[in-house]
Parts: sequence; C-alpha cells; structure tokens
Amino acid sequence: MADEKNPAADNPYTQIHVVQSGDSLSKIAQKYYGDASLYTKIFEANRDVLSDPNKIKPGQKLRIP
Amino acid sequence: MKKSSLWVLAALTAVLIAGCQNQRAPAEQAVAAADSSLTSTRDMAMRYAPDQLQAVDTQLNSAKDKLAKGDYKGVLADIPAINSAINNLRDTATAKQQEVQAANDKAKDAWGPMSTDVPKMVDAIQSRVDILSKSHHLPKGVTKDTLAAAKSSVDSMKAVWNDASTAATAGDYSTAVSKGQTVKDQASQVMHSLGMTSS
Repeated sequence: MADEKNPAADNPYTQIHVVQSGDSLSKIAQKYYGDASLYTKIFEANRDVLSDPNKIKPGQKLRIP
Repeated sequence: MKKSSLWVLAALTAVLIAGCQNQRAPAEQAVAAADSSLTSTRDMAMRYAPDQLQAVDTQLNSAKDKLAKGDYKGVLADIPAINSAINNLRDTATAKQQEVQAANDKAKDAWGPMSTDVPKMVDAIQSRVDILSKSHHLPKGVTKDTLAAAKSSVDSMKAVWNDASTAATAGDYSTAVSKGQTVKDQASQVMHSLGMTSS
C-alpha cells in the first residue's frame, strides 16, 4: 500500500511530534514506543529533515511512524 | 317436444357457442399481449420490485387459467386491471432503478478520497503496530491487550478493505463506500487506542 523507502513521508495519518525544549529522539521514542532504543525508527522516518539523530531543534515537526 | 321448439333450441345453442368462440381470439390475444409486456420488464422488475412482480404474475396466471378453462369473458374482464398492474410495475421498477443509480453515483464521488485516505490510515497503524511489537515495553496507555487487539484489527480492516475495493471495481460504489466507512471508523478507534493522535 505505501512507499517502502519512507512510508511515513507522504502519509497524512502518520503522527507528528513537535519538538520541545529538552527533547531528544530517545525521549521521544520512550514517549511513543515505551522504548528509547527505538529512536532509530524516528530518525529513519525523518531523514529529510534530520542529518544527525542527536541534533533536533524545538519547533521541528517530526513524523512518528 | 315439438319440431319447432327443437329448432329454436338448436339455433340458440349455436348462437351461444358462436358468441363464446367470438371472445376466444380476443381473450387469447389479450393474454399474449399482457404476457409479452410483462416479459419485457421482468428482469428489471425482479431486481427492483420483486414483490410487486410476484403479485402481477399471480394475476396473469389466473387469467391464463381462465383462458384454459374457456372463461373468455372472465379473461377479458380481468385484462384491463392486469395491464394497469403491469404498467405500474414498470413505473415502480424504473423509479427504483433510477434511485439506486443516483445513490451509486453519489457513492462514487465519496469513494474517490476514501480510496486514498483509508489505505494510508491502515498503513500508519500497521507501522505503529510493527514498531510496538519490537518494543521492550509499551508506551503509557497502551497495554499488551490493546496491542493484540490492534494487530487483529489490522487484519480484519485489510480484509474488509479488500471487499470494498472489489465492490468498487465492479461498479458497486454504494457497497464500497459502506465497507470503506466501516474500515475508516475502525481505524480511527485503533489509532486512538494506540495514542496515535498528534501532539
């Protein structure tokens, strides 16, 4: 049904998280997946806006697959 | 009995038989015409007005029985009502067909956006379910039962969506939209249960 490279990219039903001050991909993964180690899933889904998983900015809108 | 009386009786009998025979052809033609008229509308009537068709069939069969028994007068008396019933049946079936077609056209308009939206909803849910299945723990508000129910729902949603797509391919957009809406409603519930609303 979807693009296999980044299925979340053009899916309007993919959840969006607006980065807050103090956020990290690990914290965000903990929040949505219950497991911080799954931060790579969030990074992969946002390669178009993130070049480094350790560098996220408040206000950024990240897809949460 | 006097010879003259016998002649009168014979003459009267002949007139009676001739009168009956005079009605035979018109009765036969009337029944044949009604039968032909009903045949031309039967398929549509069977689909859109089956109960009414059954009633008209009963009326026409009754006339055919009378015809077989030689009750030509009875047949001719019944035919106007039968023809009227056949016309009413045709009108009812035609109106119903148009109503169904209009509903289907409206459903076709609704199917367009639905056919792109619903698969994406299901894809988003599938993605989340796949990731949560790898998680060592579950996020707040999501239990093992919730996740199991979501997995099961994805399977059933895909099955129902497949049915909806098949109906759409066949041109039955009313059924397609009805099934599609079922999937959409279920998907919304599952997304809510998994905490998939945006913050």
